[in-house]
Amino acid sequence: MDGEEKTYGGCEGPDAMYVKLISSDGHEFIVKREHALTSGMIKAMLSGPGQFAENETSEVNFREISSHVLSKVCMYFTYNVHYTNSSIEISKFPVTPEILLELLVAANFLDCKMK
Amino acid sequence: MQEPLLLAELKPGRPHQFDWKSSCETWSVAFSPDGSWFAWSQGHCIVKLIPWPLEEQFIPKGFEAKSRSSKNETKGRGSPKEKTLDCGQIVWGLAFSPWPSPPSRKLWARHHPQVPDVSCLVLATGLNDGQIKIWEVQTGLLLLNLSGHQDVVRDLSFTPSGSLILVSASRDKTLRIWDLNKHGKQIQVLSGHLQWVYCCSISPDCSMLCSAAGEKSVFLWSMRSYTLIRKLEGHQSSVVSCDFSPDSALLVTASYDTNVIMWDPYTGERLRSLHHTQVDPAMDDSDVHISSLRSVCFSPEGLYLATVADDRLLRIWALELKTPIAFAPMTNGLCCTFFPHGGVIATGTRDGHVQFWTAPRVLSSLKHLCRKALRSFLTTYQVLALPIPKKMKEFLTYRTF
Repeated sequence: MDGEEKTYGGCEGPDAMYVKLISSDGHEFIVKREHALTSGMIKAMLSGPGQFAENETSEVNFREISSHVLSKVCMYFTYNVHYTNSSIEISKFPVTPEILLELLVAANFLDCKMK
Repeated sequence: MQEPLLLAELKPGRPHQFDWKSSCETWSVAFSPDGSWFAWSQGHCIVKLIPWPLEEQFIPKGFEAKSRSSKNETKGRGSPKEKTLDCGQIVWGLAFSPWPSPPSRKLWARHHPQVPDVSCLVLATGLNDGQIKIWEVQTGLLLLNLSGHQDVVRDLSFTPSGSLILVSASRDKTLRIWDLNKHGKQIQVLSGHLQWVYCCSISPDCSMLCSAAGEKSVFLWSMRSYTLIRKLEGHQSSVVSCDFSPDSALLVTASYDTNVIMWDPYTGERLRSLHHTQVDPAMDDSDVHISSLRSVCFSPEGLYLATVADDRLLRIWALELKTPIAFAPMTNGLCCTFFPHGGVIATGTRDGHVQFWTAPRVLSSLKHLCRKALRSFLTTYQVLALPIPKKMKEFLTYRTF
């Protein structure tokens, strides 16, 4: 766009640095592609042979995951990437009791790596 | 999966006056809940209290300190140097508890010259003749002597909530409940076992007590009413060690019958057995297959188990798998425990040594983090009543293998 000086990488194209995750209530979470790939489901959706519409613009709509859950999921992506392939002592990942069940359902759907 | 590496080994110094009557075994090892202290019953009636992490001198060159303690909120006026507790007789059981400012502090001051520090740690030691001594960790001072048991106090367990209720397990076939808020008053005797009680463990949510004994049975008691909830049958020999998972959803018990059994403590169902068989039969000449279990414990995030057996191996198990994922050779092992923040396993041996091993580095999945948090307050029955798909219930109740 005209006038915009700074760019941080965008969500366009198959090799975009960022992807956009959209919650059921319309919040858009722009996260690093590498982080989002923590989710086996997102990985499949983004690397599929064009059958998913999202492939073009690297955005994924989650019609069943609300923003208060999706935000936590994104935090988990960061946590996972931060400690994977490093030897830093792993700190606790805080989970709030109120969203636990929804978060579990989302985590199950998204197939977030490891056991 | 990386094999556990030996980080450090501590050996007791030659005791000042060698008493031939006292034994040299390390029956128990323990970390304080905040990870700031390590207790080691090093035989000859001595317990060593060592600040954690260990000083540089203990760690062989080339290893980093694999663990850092969390902020030690209990640092009082005591120095961080190690303490030696002379218990006067063989020490069998050990248990730490935080000791917040006691409500009856003024009463304490009147009757006892040594008033515990505000917000300190205490260590309970179970002794050979049935006595239990309670020590203040930072100063090494003896606070209380609890009498009642008629024989060896083999194991001790404090309520994890810090409510200062202590459970003791004894060769006199009883367990006893002591209230340290009331100067160690004995509030209950739990009878029922027919032989030596080897171990006791309170669930992290403080609702259940597990005890196991020589007659092969495992008992589950309510920590609210101090009554027996159920008996768990299945072991073929003495049951010598037990531990709850960090979310209280699972119970593991270890026996001389070479098995560790994993149970659902809410339903009494037996979920699986972990068989301790010989790793390499070709190496061992003897016909006798010696792999009695000595100790089993859960890792702090609840995904691994460590076991110590008589076949000279420390084994690490992943929850879902039927065979160990790693082994380390250790002779004469008797006990094991994980460092509360993960990363290290401590073991104790018959010759009074303790070893510290690297534990698997675990990055829990988001699913497991949710499961652990949910199961910390949901019983199995409550999970089964949730409006979620069957597969998710199976996951939450640890039925997925």
